[in-house]
Amino acid sequence: MVINNMIGPWVEKYRPQNLEDIVGQKQIVNRLNKYVNEESMPNLMFTGPAGVGKTTTALALAKAVLGEYWRQNFLELNASDARGIDTVRNNIKNFCRLKPVGAPFRIIFLDEVDNMTKDAQHALRREMEMYTKTASFILSCNYSSKIIDPIQSRCAIFRFAPIKGEDINNRLEYIANQEGFDYDEEAIKTIVYFAEGDMRKSVNMLQAAASEGGITEDKVYDVVSKAKPKDISQMITKALSGDFMGAREMLRNTMVLQGTSGEDMVNQIYQEVSRRAMEGKMEGEVYMDLIEGIADTDFRIREGANPRIQLEALLSKFL
Amino acid sequence: MLWTDKYRPKTFQELMGNGKIRKQIENWVNEWKNDNPQKPLLLVGPAGIGKTSLAYIIANEFSEHIELNASDKRSYDILMSTIGESSSTHSLFGESYKLIILDEVDGIHGNDDRGGTRAINKIIGESKQPMVMMANDFYSKRLTTIKNKCLVIKMAKVHTNSVGATLKRICRKEGVEFDPEAIKTLAKRSNGDLRAAINTLQAISEEGNKIELSDLESVSQKDNTNNIFDTVRTVLKSKTVNHIKPDMMIDEDPTLVMEYIAENIPREYEKPSEIKAAYANIAQADLFFGRARATRDYTYWRYASDFMGPGVALSKKETYRKFTRLTGSQAFRLMGQTRGKRALRDRIAEKMEEKMHVSLEVAYTMFPTFEVIFANDEMAYEISRFLELEDDEIKRFRKRKIPKKVITKMEKEIDEAKRLEHEEYVKHYQGTGIFRESTEKVVDEAKKDAEEKVKESEIVEDLKEEVKSVEKESSKDEDKSKKRKPKDEEPEENLDKGQTSLFSF
Repeated sequence: MVINNMIGPWVEKYRPQNLEDIVGQKQIVNRLNKYVNEESMPNLMFTGPAGVGKTTTALALAKAVLGEYWRQNFLELNASDARGIDTVRNNIKNFCRLKPVGAPFRIIFLDEVDNMTKDAQHALRREMEMYTKTASFILSCNYSSKIIDPIQSRCAIFRFAPIKGEDINNRLEYIANQEGFDYDEEAIKTIVYFAEGDMRKSVNMLQAAASEGGITEDKVYDVVSKAKPKDISQMITKALSGDFMGAREMLRNTMVLQGTSGEDMVNQIYQEVSRRAMEGKMEGEVYMDLIEGIADTDFRIREGANPRIQLEALLSKFL
Repeated sequence: MLWTDKYRPKTFQELMGNGKIRKQIENWVNEWKNDNPQKPLLLVGPAGIGKTSLAYIIANEFSEHIELNASDKRSYDILMSTIGESSSTHSLFGESYKLIILDEVDGIHGNDDRGGTRAINKIIGESKQPMVMMANDFYSKRLTTIKNKCLVIKMAKVHTNSVGATLKRICRKEGVEFDPEAIKTLAKRSNGDLRAAINTLQAISEEGNKIELSDLESVSQKDNTNNIFDTVRTVLKSKTVNHIKPDMMIDEDPTLVMEYIAENIPREYEKPSEIKAAYANIAQADLFFGRARATRDYTYWRYASDFMGPGVALSKKETYRKFTRLTGSQAFRLMGQTRGKRALRDRIAEKMEEKMHVSLEVAYTMFPTFEVIFANDEMAYEISRFLELEDDEIKRFRKRKIPKKVITKMEKEIDEAKRLEHEEYVKHYQGTGIFRESTEKVVDEAKKDAEEKVKESEIVEDLKEEVKSVEKESSKDEDKSKKRKPKDEEPEENLDKGQTSLFSF
């Protein structure tokens, strides 16, 4: 097992393998340990923002519960998979048809269930009922509110909070030491600030900052600005100056070529607009008008509208 | 009897249109008759222009033919059993060939047709029999592999005048009187689809004897005679609701119509307030398309249609007196242009999905960070090895290749560490003795494995030494091969550029 973790990006290299090593989710881990001792577990739902350890916990839990043969008895699926619910269901069906080997039961880990349509969720619910005897499900999602009630009521729900700054700080320092990189404490603090409780983001930023040698505060700022698409700011400037066609083209480039999701675009536009307002570069009334538009766009995208069309319409509001 | 069948051309001479194509095909047939096998024919062109008719005419030239069309389930097996066999067996009489006709090859898709394209490719490769295939969309993905193995014949829309002439000829034969204006309009609206025009003609001539312009009104709305750009133009140029609404009824995917209208809004409208209002309507339309999708209740479409039609139209203060060149959806064009780049991006993201337990969307968000990290040779090597990235995928994150020196150094370190760890692992399990017999066996095997690995790695070391000495001698040759490599990659880029032109309207 350990061999696999010798190389790779730091996020993988330092992904905790055991429940005990999981950072910043003490209470959850304590409760999960009970399932390990009892050798049984109900269907679980892990909900919380990105990078707080949902997947890591699921993997570690599977290893602890299923023991030596966890790989054979563990199925990881991406529920938001473009291949659709039928593929997901077929995979589950094929996996559940076989009896668990060398383990008390089998575990199916479904990631990002909140990106499934309601129809797909109902289909999933039937699968969950069908295989209760042989398999347990672990579902993970960002927002439990997007999961239909029948599924929620069939799961024990665990809410993962953003990881505390202190915990991230310690983990980053541990990794930097293990990898033999010098670091400024300020640099680590800056990463923690920008990562907003997201461990994956933090570790990626740490590695990026380390990629040119020492981990300094300047380097971190450099990484932050590089890793964030500058295009968003330019796009907004263009739209505000009345060049709608130009702004629209930038939007399309970012979404089509970089694959930035609608949700991410909304977040970044929101952050950029707030920043301008905070720095006094935008009038209050204009700001509130735009916020109304952004909020509306956000809601519509979540409701299932076409993100690019909605964002193009949002851009026209900047004119 | 359907007039389209009754008046289907029976000979090359009767077939409308292009003389050059006729010559090409006659040549092809003659070569076969002279026992000179030819590449399969691929007839490409829009619906209703005579592809099937042409195929039948060709079939007349051969003693036998087999035919499969779109309504058949085209699984690999069916394709292979129906035509796979007959295509590779010679008839007893050498000179008589069996023509294989395969319609709508670009329509092969979905689960039912899994393997269909593969089967066709196989048959093309093995076939000893003449083969004619038909397709609508020359740029269909499913044709990419088939295209270059075929003699492609592109068939254009039938010219309006030819359509008109044919319609008149049929009228005369059927003894139907007609107003020439009506026939002219019908021909114009057919948009080159002769079959549709004949069908419409038959439909309206059964009701009365003389065909008048007014007869067309009853069928015109069902007909897909309105071009998507006509609709866009009406929406952008008109302000009259009762003018716009009928034009929204066209036989196109309504979301596509919305894309086209949205695309052209800022090209026609000049005032920011107009663009804003028009786009707000587009967003509303899109919202209802989404709701229709989510609830599967497509009655919502009517609201979408009103928002993107009259809604956008009334967003302007006054109609602009200018000529605007309308374009197709540039967003779709961009997707076409960047297909290669996006495929590369997705390949990498899929590897990350598998190895790093993340969704594609999360994987994309890591790309900018990876670009920074990959500047570091060692880190780039480690991550590439972990994700099993190919050279072109590494190139996505860093322009320079990872230096050979770094690679060999890292490989050595990793192999060494692996070996040490393996030894530790074995020692650890040997020492504890708390394991049952069965596990001890496993441990013993693991131990043997480990020993073998050690031997292997020693052999590898030796080999590497050898390779190094050889490399030193032939280092000049190597430089040459380095220069050669980029050339190999060039055609790929050219292909990409080639695609772009296909999408400009």
